[in-house]
Amino acid sequence: MEIEVLEKNDVNMRLLIRGVDTPFVNALRRTVLAEVPCMAIDEVVIIENSSVLQDEIIAHRLGLIPLKTDLNGYNLPEECPCKSEFGCNLCRVSLTLDAEAKEGTRTVYSGELISENPDIVPVSDKIPIVKLVKEQKLKLEAYARLGKGKKHAKWQPVSMCTYKYYPQIKIDSKRCDACGKCVEICPRKVLTKNVNKIEVRDLIVCTLCQDCMDVCPQNPPAIDVSWDENTFIFNLESTGALPPKRIITEAIKILDKRLKEFIKHVKVKTREKS
Amino acid sequence: MKVKILKRTSNELKIEVEGAGHTLCNLLQKRLLEDENVELASYDIPHPLASNSIIYVCTKGDVKPEEALRKAVERAHQMNKEFSKEFKKALKP
Repeated sequence: MEIEVLEKNDVNMRLLIRGVDTPFVNALRRTVLAEVPCMAIDEVVIIENSSVLQDEIIAHRLGLIPLKTDLNGYNLPEECPCKSEFGCNLCRVSLTLDAEAKEGTRTVYSGELISENPDIVPVSDKIPIVKLVKEQKLKLEAYARLGKGKKHAKWQPVSMCTYKYYPQIKIDSKRCDACGKCVEICPRKVLTKNVNKIEVRDLIVCTLCQDCMDVCPQNPPAIDVSWDENTFIFNLESTGALPPKRIITEAIKILDKRLKEFIKHVKVKTREKS
Repeated sequence: MKVKILKRTSNELKIEVEGAGHTLCNLLQKRLLEDENVELASYDIPHPLASNSIIYVCTKGDVKPEEALRKAVERAHQMNKEFSKEFKKALKP
């Protein structure tokens, strides 16, 4: 196995993974989407709401605000030793919002949420929650909890997590007459014409649509697009709740835990019967 | 997670696993098929909304199916370990 980091910043990560198979990358992707926990507002107590939006809609909007998550400091509510339905300081963060339009119309933004823990705050201060006209008021208390993507999409730490095969483009220079039709049709501008030769400009952006093969006047086509079944381009875009690196390491940890749990149960059951 | 044995002979094992979806089953199926002692390995998710799946393993007879399953999980663990190691290495410089 070989891994190469193609792109990395605060929210994006693109990896080139060689020497793995589809079930593994798919398990990784599915775990990232459905099992890696992150914080989201789960319960809202509305104290006053004279805005045009109903309480439920505001609660839903609050839930979808990504929050910076501290996985080490908090427990999942179902795993928390407090066993309380309401939660304790180890599995719940309270955020308050008190907004009033005193002088004319204004928008309430996520930055106005005041968290009891300065580490658990919205990833962006500029997410609009509701618009208030003069004399309208919104006052509420919200409780954020850890959760998993399989229960609700608001608990997904990523806004996107995909993989694709690594493309392989072969151009038969003997039969290619450099007509340039493949360069024209390519939606991702993978190919380029260099004097009287077709060359690959950017291999990674290729979506394997094979339009270039269809448009080639040669029969069989002088260009061949295929893919390497053991090499993947893995793309991940975090919502900002967790850094991409942490999401991947956490996913691997969860996958390991699930496998361990599974085989333990199988062992117990097969021993019982024999 | 809950496991229920549906069928068990010397070379066959059919289990129902509550709380396992394609994530785990597909991975295990592939790992099982890598084993040359395994004749057949498959899984089924009877209903897309229910989270229980049925895993079926049939070996060629030399190895018990639960042993093949254990080895498959071991291989999956090994792959995770290698991934973590390579991932750390790739991020270092």
